[in-house]
Amino acid sequence: MSRADRGHLVFGLIVLAALAALPFVADSRYVLGQVILALFYAIVASQWNLLFGFAGVFSLGQMALFAFGGYATAMLGFYLDWSMWVAMPVAAVGTVLFSLVIGLACLRLAGAYVALLTLAVAQVMYLLIVTDTDCFVMQGATCRQFTGGAVGFARFGDLGTRAIFKGDYVVANYAIVAALFLLTMGFTWAVIRSPLGLAFQALRDNPGCAVARGINRFSTQLLVFGASAFFTGLAGGLYAAHFQAIGPGVLSLSTLMFIIAIAVVGGIGKLWGPLVGAVILVLADEALREVGGDYRTLGLGLIIAAAMVLMPKGVIGLVESMVARLRPASGRAAEFVKSGT
Amino acid sequence: MEILGPVLVAGITTGALYALATIGLSLVWGALGMLNMAHGALLTIGGYAAFTLATLMGAPWPVAVLAPVVVGALIGAVIYLLVAQPLLARAPRSFETNVIIATFGVAMALENAVLLIFGGQPFGQSIALTGHLQAGGIFIPWQNVLIVAVVLVLMAGTAFFLARTRAGRAIRATAQHREAAQLLGVPVGRVYLQVLALSGGIAGTCGLLVSSITQLSPTLGADPMLKAFIMCVVAGLGNLPGAIGAAFVLALIEAFASYALGARWGFPLLLAIVILVLIWRPDGLFGRAAVRRL
Repeated sequence: MSRADRGHLVFGLIVLAALAALPFVADSRYVLGQVILALFYAIVASQWNLLFGFAGVFSLGQMALFAFGGYATAMLGFYLDWSMWVAMPVAAVGTVLFSLVIGLACLRLAGAYVALLTLAVAQVMYLLIVTDTDCFVMQGATCRQFTGGAVGFARFGDLGTRAIFKGDYVVANYAIVAALFLLTMGFTWAVIRSPLGLAFQALRDNPGCAVARGINRFSTQLLVFGASAFFTGLAGGLYAAHFQAIGPGVLSLSTLMFIIAIAVVGGIGKLWGPLVGAVILVLADEALREVGGDYRTLGLGLIIAAAMVLMPKGVIGLVESMVARLRPASGRAAEFVKSGT
Repeated sequence: MEILGPVLVAGITTGALYALATIGLSLVWGALGMLNMAHGALLTIGGYAAFTLATLMGAPWPVAVLAPVVVGALIGAVIYLLVAQPLLARAPRSFETNVIIATFGVAMALENAVLLIFGGQPFGQSIALTGHLQAGGIFIPWQNVLIVAVVLVLMAGTAFFLARTRAGRAIRATAQHREAAQLLGVPVGRVYLQVLALSGGIAGTCGLLVSSITQLSPTLGADPMLKAFIMCVVAGLGNLPGAIGAAFVLALIEAFASYALGARWGFPLLLAIVILVLIWRPDGLFGRAAVRRL
């Protein structure tokens, strides 16, 4: 096991311990709610990080995948009365298929082209949902659109935790979300270490050499895109089930910005970057709310621009370079010799 | 025929506006390889700058018309100095993607600043012509005629600037080959600054024109920018004449699709066409595949 892997494992165990201890420390339901939100952000950001940080695919359509998972879960519950526990995995698989269609259309291109097309796909999805006014079913006297329209869906079922745990259901939901987060991180780690992971990292670092070694750029990147969609869609479904509502708001540019900001501040291409970024930004968000909620988006935009310019490797990159400077030079040389053999 | 006329007028007018928006984007992409996501915010600020001077401060219209140009150029220059230059200096290889994220942040901050200063309610742009021109049974508002005329003049001016002036030649040389231009004594940093200022000025003017036929709102520039991006992509990023052609053709298609299928299907159809074109030609209709040495 390499040094980096040991580091990831130790950090993962610390996170596990912190997540397990949190419900006993956090006294208010509000704090727990914010942590749940931060974990949702961290899950989506980690999959964006897998895609951009490790595979170099610059997708701005991540929230479209999240929304697809959320909407599919909500619609299966709403129209077909499916249990959330069945609807969520089905929706996640559906999200993978949806992402493969988007990927087939967009991933033949590279760099900025991919970013623009995926952004346009997300925007079209948003517009089609918001402008949907045709009645699909009548619910009492009110008309309901197939996609839920500008209002979205509510009351399509829940996780069943309310019935079992009564007042403490938030803690149970927290446990489920935390479990999904850890599962996502384990999955991301496994993907990065797999042959596929080596292939897409090679493509990111030197596309010319990678292609010359026989790696197919299109199919490799399509595979990562599909892989990242599963947990993004599952997180969308769990988000809908936890809040018992989903609306077109998740497709807004500011939500996408928040996800990207989390990845940038934490550290693009760092496994635990999204978690660190999510914690920092949710705290910053709370602080900005104290100052005045109006300045929230303004502050967020400035944070993204400043973080990108001043610390492109994020907080984790900053800490890593500081640690590297503190370690004695002889140790560094030994490490170099070891890794060279 | 009665229907065809207005749809045609709307298509050509929006086509002209998209074309103007694509000029600024293409210039910056061509010279720096930078997608300026804050371009839409520059449009918005241009519209509000004219509104502030003309309506709130009562300045005469020639002054108010110049305001978007100046403000847009200034903000464009600041974006270069504070965001693009440091990113380019630090990591030229990852500049293409890093700058998208950074300018995305700038766009969000600028748009929100407009919202905080002016509020979310829409305003009417007072700098606009009234009345109609009647030609062969078709009513054409004078404002639409003015927009197309202004866009044509600006396009001709930009083309002349790029083709004939010393600064324009420096821009084209930098776009063609940065190192070679630098070796021949072109001050690349100053060229980049000029390009972003020029693009910002054009964006400001475009914002004024867009607001004159719609309404001023903090999200004014977002929709034209996304569509202008799409048009640049379909023509091949950085290809100016191609982008202008694509802007007119796609705007007409969008106008007819909106009329025939309903307004909500205009943009989706546009995107479908663009994706089909890109599957057929991944570097855009007129783009040449970039050959890179390893």
